[in-house]
Amino acid sequence: MRLTIERGALLNALGHVTNVVERRTTVPILSNVLIEARDGVATFAATDLDIEVIDGANADVEQVGSLTVPAHTLYDIVRKLPEGSQVKLELANDSGRISITSGRSKYYLPVLPASDFPSLGVGDFDKTFEIELPALSRLIDKTKFAISTEETRYYLNGIYFHGATGDSGPCLRAVATDGHRLAQSDYPMPEGANDMAGIIIPRKTILELRRLLESEEEVVEIATSESKIRFSLGRATLTSKVIDGTFPDYERVIPKENPHVMTVDNSEFARAVDRVATMAVERLRPIKLALSHDNLTLTFSNPEAGEAREEVEVQYDAPEIEIGFNAKYLLDIAGQVSNQALFYFRDSASPTLVKDATDPNSLYVLMPLRV
Amino acid sequence: MGSIRQLSQQVINQIAAGEVIERPASALKELIENSLDAGAQSVNIWCDEGGLARILIEDDGSGITKDELPIAILRHATSKLKDDGNTADLTNINTLGFRGEALPSIGAVARMKIQSRHYLSSEAWEINIEGGQVSPIKPCAWAGLNSGTRIEVRDLFFATPARLKFMKSVRSENIAIIDVVKRLALSRPEIGFSLYLDGKISFRTKNHDETEPAARIRDIIGADLADDCLVIDVEREGVRLYGLASLPTASRSDSRFQFLFVNNRPVKDPMLKGVARAAYQDVLAKDRHPILALFLELEPKLVDVNVHPAKTEVRFRDPALIRGLIIGALRHAIGEVSVRASTSLASQTIGALGKSLQQTDAPKFYQGNYNYTPAPKPVQTGFYEGMPREFTPQQAPAPMARAFEEPQTEEVQPQSSPQNFPLGAAKAQLHNTYVVAQTDEGIVIVDQHAAHERLVLERMKAAMNETGIPRQLSLIPDVVEMDAVDCDNLLAKADELAQFGLVIEGFGDGAILVRETPAILGKINAKELLKDLADEIAGFDNAMRLKERIDEILSRMACHGSVRAGRQLGPVEMNALLREMEVTPRSGQCNHGRPTFVKLSLNDIEKLFGRK
Repeated sequence: MRLTIERGALLNALGHVTNVVERRTTVPILSNVLIEARDGVATFAATDLDIEVIDGANADVEQVGSLTVPAHTLYDIVRKLPEGSQVKLELANDSGRISITSGRSKYYLPVLPASDFPSLGVGDFDKTFEIELPALSRLIDKTKFAISTEETRYYLNGIYFHGATGDSGPCLRAVATDGHRLAQSDYPMPEGANDMAGIIIPRKTILELRRLLESEEEVVEIATSESKIRFSLGRATLTSKVIDGTFPDYERVIPKENPHVMTVDNSEFARAVDRVATMAVERLRPIKLALSHDNLTLTFSNPEAGEAREEVEVQYDAPEIEIGFNAKYLLDIAGQVSNQALFYFRDSASPTLVKDATDPNSLYVLMPLRV
Repeated sequence: MGSIRQLSQQVINQIAAGEVIERPASALKELIENSLDAGAQSVNIWCDEGGLARILIEDDGSGITKDELPIAILRHATSKLKDDGNTADLTNINTLGFRGEALPSIGAVARMKIQSRHYLSSEAWEINIEGGQVSPIKPCAWAGLNSGTRIEVRDLFFATPARLKFMKSVRSENIAIIDVVKRLALSRPEIGFSLYLDGKISFRTKNHDETEPAARIRDIIGADLADDCLVIDVEREGVRLYGLASLPTASRSDSRFQFLFVNNRPVKDPMLKGVARAAYQDVLAKDRHPILALFLELEPKLVDVNVHPAKTEVRFRDPALIRGLIIGALRHAIGEVSVRASTSLASQTIGALGKSLQQTDAPKFYQGNYNYTPAPKPVQTGFYEGMPREFTPQQAPAPMARAFEEPQTEEVQPQSSPQNFPLGAAKAQLHNTYVVAQTDEGIVIVDQHAAHERLVLERMKAAMNETGIPRQLSLIPDVVEMDAVDCDNLLAKADELAQFGLVIEGFGDGAILVRETPAILGKINAKELLKDLADEIAGFDNAMRLKERIDEILSRMACHGSVRAGRQLGPVEMNALLREMEVTPRSGQCNHGRPTFVKLSLNDIEKLFGRK
């Protein structure tokens, strides 16, 4: 194999795939990236056996071939080369090493045969549809903060994508919850996705996918099967196993008729919460919301640390209530809302519903804290 | 297979002996209990070859009359239980024995000679029984003027060779004998005991006038505990608990040194271990156990001693009350001592110092010492006035400070006020880690990080107690599947768990619904936590694991929020640390039971220099 490639294009492709590779593994080839050179294109593939990411870049291929090299080392070398330089990759004959040459820099890396590189398999995808890239990004961004990291309920360790009926008809819906809070976002049903079965996309896949979505492509093609999902955009594809489990019946816990509505300027609210939370010790951040007519008082009090009190002007015309929340959870939700936030309360022990006044397609549910 | 027959009396006695007389130590226990019930003031014991060859016990109790002697060795014959022909008052037992089994059981498996002089009689009588065969009663010689009983048991288990085969080494039988005598001796400080093993004295206790167990504990467990202990004496709802418990810093690696006496009866209650763990939970590492000698006094009616033939187990009518009483009393006592370090620590320190002195050759040692003394003199004047002056001994005073202080230096004024505090006045900080303070009676060395960490933790816990533990409600409650017994156990403790922020509900058979969790734990693995708690409830009947988890988080936060080793402290800061330690409960040890400070008396130091 012998090829020459522009450093920026190489870095971009490697950047998309390298992150999947575990730095330390017991199977040496899993630390490597697969490089295939053919037809004026260099293709790079990496996998951790659960996720496989492939990306390609134009290259001047002098001799076709394929091999694997340590992924993180290659990425770090390329990253440190000067911008705009040309990089030449060449398998030295019989030496079992690849040389990386750029200007006056020259590196040799050990090679493992491409034939040993594991593949997640092409598999049969029974469903294929397309969605605009910004829409997919948005579905992920609105919900990923609520993904659970606790391992016993593994079926919560991802975003649940499925077809549903939203306020404005059939939609593709993303839901995530960690058992304390829940986030849901809808997008009008893309053509061909109608009878798609629900799938839970694991957290790591979501993070890798989000990296790929930083792209100038406009459309993402999604193919699904019972056990796998594949995202394709331009030359890049990401294939991942999905979580084999049943997502809980989340609709049951979304409050439908919480009577007490508060409208608040989101950024003012977020800043007040953030200031009050300064007082709270790490992790333990219970803050209290007291609502009276058009007024919200946020308090934190601890005999040792002291007291905090912030008042925020709101629109509220319902009975006075007091309710406690974890400040971090409030800030997470405030991070999703753009201008005005609508809070729907029932009482201090029932779930609270939060909506973005300008985004009818997303909602958030938060369980209070008993303080 | 033969036909069904009534067993002979001798076989019945042999079978009973199998339960009551398990080994020489248990025969001895029965005999000592008889002596104590007879009002003996001194009990002398000789055992040969682990008690298998001979057990001889002599007491000065009330003795047995000539007429009673033949009855005493009959099964179910006792003077200790009133029996109106129909029922006996088994609920109101004031004596150690009551089953009427000891003498006939021993007689059934050994050669036993009983000699006794009743206190109203001038003659002594003797009866012999060998493998159940009773010889006629006969008069015997009696030395001394007192009444009393002398029982000699030879060739124990000769009549039951099978049991004889199960005996362990003489050594281990001796250990069991010593244990039995010690337990009984602990329970009755007013009675003198002596124990001879193979003719050599094993231990002897004096008659102590006071009923307080401290003196007896010194005799039996050792001076360590008697000096390093917390005295406990509380009463609640007619139950009195008194005795001694060790300071957390004087713990042991096993729970052998935990004694419980119920109405002066030594009992082995598995509850004690759990109770001790619960009480010492946040001051002792998990694998350390306190030393306890606790005495419970309660109405005989409130406790059932007729649980086990050997009478080593009891059942309380209200076990929760007893548990609560013991835990509460221990925790209270531990909380009260903040500025006592155990004296055995001081001797350990002296020991360590002595060793290092021997190992270091003199010149090097002195040189090291000189290097270390950049004149702390001006410091002292500064300290006492409590002025916030920047100074550490490692560092010569800044020129300004020196100029300022020069007029009043040189003379070290023997100031008294801060020294009057239990932890004294801070004199210096060594290696940026240890604070050295001077008290009226000696010096105190404080580990600044351990001490401050404890203070911060106690403050956080106090704050948490005041505000309660915030609980995160679950949007989608976790359902944890467990076996039905574990579920029941957990649900029985639901109220207690709710106090620490864990709210659970039953969810059909064999599953538990987790409604609310302590917010401080963040996202928890509910299954693992519940499993741990269930195991603990099954083993110890308490659910400390949850509190421990919370304390772990708190102590991690305390660790971050406290002064580290290696930070320089000014005099004001050092004194403030000492003063706060004096008023903070449980400040004498860090969260793992290690001491936060060591006290050396002048006496100890003088010893170190060979002045005493």
